[in-house]
Amino acid sequence: MKKNILRRVLQSIPLLWFISVVSFALIKLAPGDPVNSFVTPNMSAEDVERIRHSLGLDQPVIMQYFIWLKNVLQGNFGYSLTNHRPVLELILERLPATIGLMGSALFLSLIIAIPLSIIAASRKNKLLDRGIGMISYIGISIPSFWFGIMLIYIFAVKLHWLPSMGMRTIGVDSFWDIVKHGILPCAVLTFINVSMYSRYIRSQAISQLEEDYVQIQYAYGATKRSVLWRHVLKNVLLPIITILGMSFADLIAGAFITETVFSWPGMGSLGISSVFGLDYPVIMGITMFSSFMLVIGNLVADILYSVVDPRIKTMR
Amino acid sequence: MKRRNMWTAAIMALVILTMSACGSASSNKKAEDQGSTAPAGTAKNGGSLVIAVQDDPKVLNPIYAGDRVTLTIDQALYAPLFNVNGDKKTFVLAESLTPSADNLTYTLKLREGLTWHDGQPLTADDIIFTMNSILDEKQHSFFRGSFVYDGKPLTMKKVDDRTVDFVLPKVSAAFEGMLVQIFPIPKHIFEGEADIEKSPKNSNPVGSGPFKFKEYRAGEYVTLERFDKYVGGAPKLDSVTYRVAKDPNAANLALQNGEIQMRMIDTQDVNTLKNTGNFNILTYLEGRLSYMVFNLNVDVMQKKEVRQAIAYALDKNEMITAAYTSGEYAEPAASILTPDTLYQTNDVEKYDHNLDKAKELLAQAGVSNLKLKLAYTNSNKPQTSLALYVQQKLKEVGIEVELMPLDITAFGNKSLDMNNKEYDLSFGGYIMGFEPDAYRTLYMSNEAYNYSHYKNADFDKLWDQAAVQTDTAKRGELYKQIQQTVANEMTVFPIAYTKGVVALDKRYGGVEEAVTKPVVMLEDLSKLYVTE
Repeated sequence: MKKNILRRVLQSIPLLWFISVVSFALIKLAPGDPVNSFVTPNMSAEDVERIRHSLGLDQPVIMQYFIWLKNVLQGNFGYSLTNHRPVLELILERLPATIGLMGSALFLSLIIAIPLSIIAASRKNKLLDRGIGMISYIGISIPSFWFGIMLIYIFAVKLHWLPSMGMRTIGVDSFWDIVKHGILPCAVLTFINVSMYSRYIRSQAISQLEEDYVQIQYAYGATKRSVLWRHVLKNVLLPIITILGMSFADLIAGAFITETVFSWPGMGSLGISSVFGLDYPVIMGITMFSSFMLVIGNLVADILYSVVDPRIKTMR
Repeated sequence: MKRRNMWTAAIMALVILTMSACGSASSNKKAEDQGSTAPAGTAKNGGSLVIAVQDDPKVLNPIYAGDRVTLTIDQALYAPLFNVNGDKKTFVLAESLTPSADNLTYTLKLREGLTWHDGQPLTADDIIFTMNSILDEKQHSFFRGSFVYDGKPLTMKKVDDRTVDFVLPKVSAAFEGMLVQIFPIPKHIFEGEADIEKSPKNSNPVGSGPFKFKEYRAGEYVTLERFDKYVGGAPKLDSVTYRVAKDPNAANLALQNGEIQMRMIDTQDVNTLKNTGNFNILTYLEGRLSYMVFNLNVDVMQKKEVRQAIAYALDKNEMITAAYTSGEYAEPAASILTPDTLYQTNDVEKYDHNLDKAKELLAQAGVSNLKLKLAYTNSNKPQTSLALYVQQKLKEVGIEVELMPLDITAFGNKSLDMNNKEYDLSFGGYIMGFEPDAYRTLYMSNEAYNYSHYKNADFDKLWDQAAVQTDTAKRGELYKQIQQTVANEMTVFPIAYTKGVVALDKRYGGVEEAVTKPVVMLEDLSKLYVTE
């Protein structure tokens, strides 16, 4: 097992390298010059050239990549091109806000989606199932920015129950204040997640309900409740692990759109700013961090598969 | 399954990255303004103000400020030597600025008893340090080029603690206009710093403006608190907070919800906010020109008659209604210099809408069935409306226009390509400030921002002469000739001087004293107060 894990970790190195090459190439292929985001027409051409040189942007792209790679291997993610602060510092400063928001949204989504979809599955094609299905279709298709704006309009502007933006009241530093600010963005993410997850889990639960062991349980006189919550639930965990593995990276990468709408100071809003400023050290930093988390997430998911279902041989 | 997941991982990461194709917005510069109305009410000391900004500030150090957000915050954090408003010069840190008889030396006298936010005295040494940092190539300040003349930098001489002599290597009429952009930085903080731009000291800035730094939370807000020893008098508000609000719709809702009290808004949102009855809408000329430029790299655009015909075929008032909803938010423009710029004149050919003349000129030029391409920024709403208008309107004179909406960065790159022939017409806008010499980079033959690619040695000579002419009457005459040349040659078609629109909560007074200002909204926040 240990050997297998080690092998998987080693396997991920070329993958991460590949991601870094393609990411870097894509950023560099994008039209535009990062210098343009802060150059004004009354700067002289020499000033612009001097700034480009000081940022290393006058080097060939391949050289820029290798300089970046060399630094990253030494643990140095470089400096942001726009605010000149260390990339690592920028990322670490945003991480708690994102993990808090994404983590609670993920947790809530699972708590809601699992029972909801098992209930839906057990009443397949009945009114309740149809209702849940309908709502989850809405959740999947609703644009998150529009949904976010609607929630702000209703709960902040009209009802004055909740603040509309940011992570805290200016100058206030309390846990409850952050929670209050987090409710709306968390609601958007949870609604969308629940809608997606419940489709997976419901179909898995339905196929489980058709299995022989379920019929046998009934034949032995087991109640529907015990069949659902003691046996079907366990077997439904498999797709949930897949979801968790995939969501691991989201914990780090954040939600670009929702964070922007609510001005949540997480990785998503840092990502948007750096993408618009073509701030490649920051974009690369975020991409490498989240890719790494995705690889780790998949690894953990694979290990969990074998724990939950011993029939699955761990990692071949 | 797992192998596929790995690749999904890679693909997902890349999808995020392709968003990089979205552009980087180029930002603008400062200039001066025109006043606006404010509410009456009893002033009261104390209170706070929350201003929305669209992004985090970059380096909170004025020698590196070039974007709207950073300039806005620096405006409250730092104090300039002096301000210029139209013809009026107001001294702030400085008491006087006197040129010598030969105009090669400017003597700057500082006011008495100036202090930085940390209590240290602000002296001539700080001014010299600031200028040296700007001129030091290793510090890559954005302003170096403004103080280097034919390769020779400006030099400074300390006379005493309150007096500095600026020695110019050659006469420059634009010197004052460049100096007005300078906000001094403290020597005692930055002395010996190898790279000021990357210095961690920038995250705890020390300035001399009306408000001092209190707290910055990345992605959330910057809070400043009153500085009682501010040279312009103690501020009335206790604190000012700049809150990051990225999404414009959400920011407008936060404004209605009272979480934000001031924000620069779009003209389309004016009515919604006005109807709440809680806001004063401040409109003021932003010192900005919205224009259409003819690309003279294309053969047919070389014909002056064609350019003039197009100018006559378009109706500026209709264009303003199309792009800015009403004449309240933009004024028709004739000169390439904005009204706040020195020596701006309206004594130029105005090209009042005249279809017959347009047709006549096209016939003279001997062109028919003209097909033109018009480039503009796809995310810019006013430009999109203008483009549709131009397409419709030019049909009347038999010109077919193909629209070419471009991503902002792609557009920027194409327009900086000196040999670009991909389009014939394009839209743009600029804020250049009150010093007309600053406009040279947009109009002289071999400058990078000469988007029209119009080349004329005599015209260049006018710019060079105007830059060194210190006799104001003669200088004014030269700039008049420059404005008339562009109008007669019709290389750039000025459309409108656009206005900035700011919503400010009704409970705040003192706007007239605070003075609206392009880019940064208000010039002196110390004058703003809460009414009871």
